[in-house]
Amino acid sequence: MRSLAKRLMVEDPPGPKSPDAEITAAFPASDRLRPYLATLMGKGGFRALLLRALALASEDVLWLRAVQVRADGSVEGLEALPTPPDPIELLEGRVVLLAQLLGLLVAFIGPGLTSRLVGETWPHISPADLDFSHEGKNEKTK
Amino acid sequence: MKEKMKKQNKKAQSILPKKAVGRPAKVAIRQLPSGVRGLDAILGGGLPEFSFNIIAGAPGCGKTTMVHQIAFANATPKKPALYFTILGEPAIKMLRYQQQFSFFDEAKLGKAVRFINLSDVALEKDLNAVLEEIIRQVTAANAGIVVVDSFRTLTRKASGDAGAVDVQSFIHRLAQFLTSWEATTFLVGEYAEEEVRDNSLFTMVDGIFWLSQMSERNSVVRKLQIYKMRGQATVPGLHTVRIDQGGLEAFSRTLGLVGSTTKAASRQRLSMGIPELDRMLGGGLLEGDSLLVAGPSGTGKSALATQFIAEGLRHGQPGIMAIFEERPEGYTQRAGTFGLNLKAAVQKGTLEALYLRPLDLSVDETMQAILDAIKRVGAKRLVIDSLVGFEMALAPGFRADFRESLYRMIGVLTGAGITILSTVEVEDNFTSLQFSHYAISFLTDDIIRLRYVEIDGQLRKVMVVIKMRGGNHSKDIREYVITDKGVVVIHPRRTDYEALVTGIPRQTGPRKAQEDEVPPEPKAPH
Repeated sequence: MRSLAKRLMVEDPPGPKSPDAEITAAFPASDRLRPYLATLMGKGGFRALLLRALALASEDVLWLRAVQVRADGSVEGLEALPTPPDPIELLEGRVVLLAQLLGLLVAFIGPGLTSRLVGETWPHISPADLDFSHEGKNEKTK
Repeated sequence: MKEKMKKQNKKAQSILPKKAVGRPAKVAIRQLPSGVRGLDAILGGGLPEFSFNIIAGAPGCGKTTMVHQIAFANATPKKPALYFTILGEPAIKMLRYQQQFSFFDEAKLGKAVRFINLSDVALEKDLNAVLEEIIRQVTAANAGIVVVDSFRTLTRKASGDAGAVDVQSFIHRLAQFLTSWEATTFLVGEYAEEEVRDNSLFTMVDGIFWLSQMSERNSVVRKLQIYKMRGQATVPGLHTVRIDQGGLEAFSRTLGLVGSTTKAASRQRLSMGIPELDRMLGGGLLEGDSLLVAGPSGTGKSALATQFIAEGLRHGQPGIMAIFEERPEGYTQRAGTFGLNLKAAVQKGTLEALYLRPLDLSVDETMQAILDAIKRVGAKRLVIDSLVGFEMALAPGFRADFRESLYRMIGVLTGAGITILSTVEVEDNFTSLQFSHYAISFLTDDIIRLRYVEIDGQLRKVMVVIKMRGGNHSKDIREYVITDKGVVVIHPRRTDYEALVTGIPRQTGPRKAQEDEVPPEPKAPH
């Protein structure tokens, strides 16, 4: 799952493509998924899912423990870190959080629906690259 | 002046085409497929387009599944189905569970079927804001189907007298907008049956679908009632509903068998596959008759049924065996020992053995399974073995309806020219000849009674034709055996015994010399 998350981050970096998305610099990928998922599950539903993803991701990336999820589902707290993560660590944190979020979606709604949802969010990614059937949830990026 | 107007009217009438002066044409209400097997027939053809409906009932009755089927059956990218979820089951869980059903078409998701969560609007704002958001989304998407789930929790938010007015106003405006928008709407909610009288929602909607669960002893069955459906006649009453891998399936209590059919004036005689028995029946069973074979365990009812089916196959008449007491393999195996190859017919598709044994079946769904099979193979002969097993396979709550439904099914099938052989187990007593403890003889045209009798120190078997509605029949009580050829009627009627029907006859004539049976009479395996 992490390699796919990394591909999503690297090959098609999130930009302000959705007018509804308030893109924050810290976690653009989850912000990009937010409008789609909030329509489906409500802001509260999305926040609950992201909180779980963050809790899981924090086990691997320690600095993520300092960030919080706002009521609207956006992530804050990166600026308050005593030592800001370097770009490599920042990318890893983003990738791990996105991977956990996608992993949760796969667990709840299955690989098929997750592929469709991610495909709509990242339309430039080939559908062949969005096969979640064989993605391992705990696969490491390093 | 009056004269002038009269003249003008006359002139106008003469100009108008003839049609226009007649009764104006009624509006044709288009019916949408529900996507729920059996439901369209119950609804009288389908869902009325642009109707404003409620799907109500207690939790776990299948409301959400039913409305999903409706949405997936009708949604297109041009006229999508908008599924508004409000303070009910989270959409993510809905998707998780509903995708398990075969009707759930992943390809439709996002474009033809769209889920929109309105919980935030409902929690943070009021009903007006919810209505505005629904109007905004429906207008933007050009929705053809609109679902609001759960409507109950949404309206619960407004309480008190002012709240009640708000809710009524909200429902009124919602209905007005969605109908004008040409959307067919389904509100989904958990309501108790007694609320139908007092809740104005039920007055305002066009259609009420009521789902319920009924329990009796250890079994639970789901039921559907169409309380109301403006503009079309629905099948009244409680219909059984089952949820399986394909979603919800409804079984009309009339089984879709409405209207009576009359038997053809000239009907051919069908062989039972037992020549002596055919003679007893006056040349064979009349086509389209319902025959009841009654007898205690081990008297050869199933053997006789097997021969009846096999004889039909021999004459190019496909058959169905609805078996409730033993496995189909047992049937085909026994047929094999009689030299009858039923397996080949099964492979060829001219014979189907339905093994129906679950203990929570409804009579309607069982009969639907039989009717489906009859249609599949084009059956001309049907065996129901046995009625006791059939009744036992039903959930206790359905047993009360058993005779009524059986009567309906037998009536229509025999009317369509299908010949039915049903077996029923009766306990022999040794004082009288019981036909059946079921009081079902009114269902049947013909009755053959099998029974044990004690003769010459042996427990032998005799048969007698009790009744044949369509003609004369033999009154003889005939002894029979079950050999490697199946049921074989032996000996002419006995005149040296009386009171054979009691099972303990008295010898009246001279005793005949008896040979010991070595080996004993061969018996068909069970």
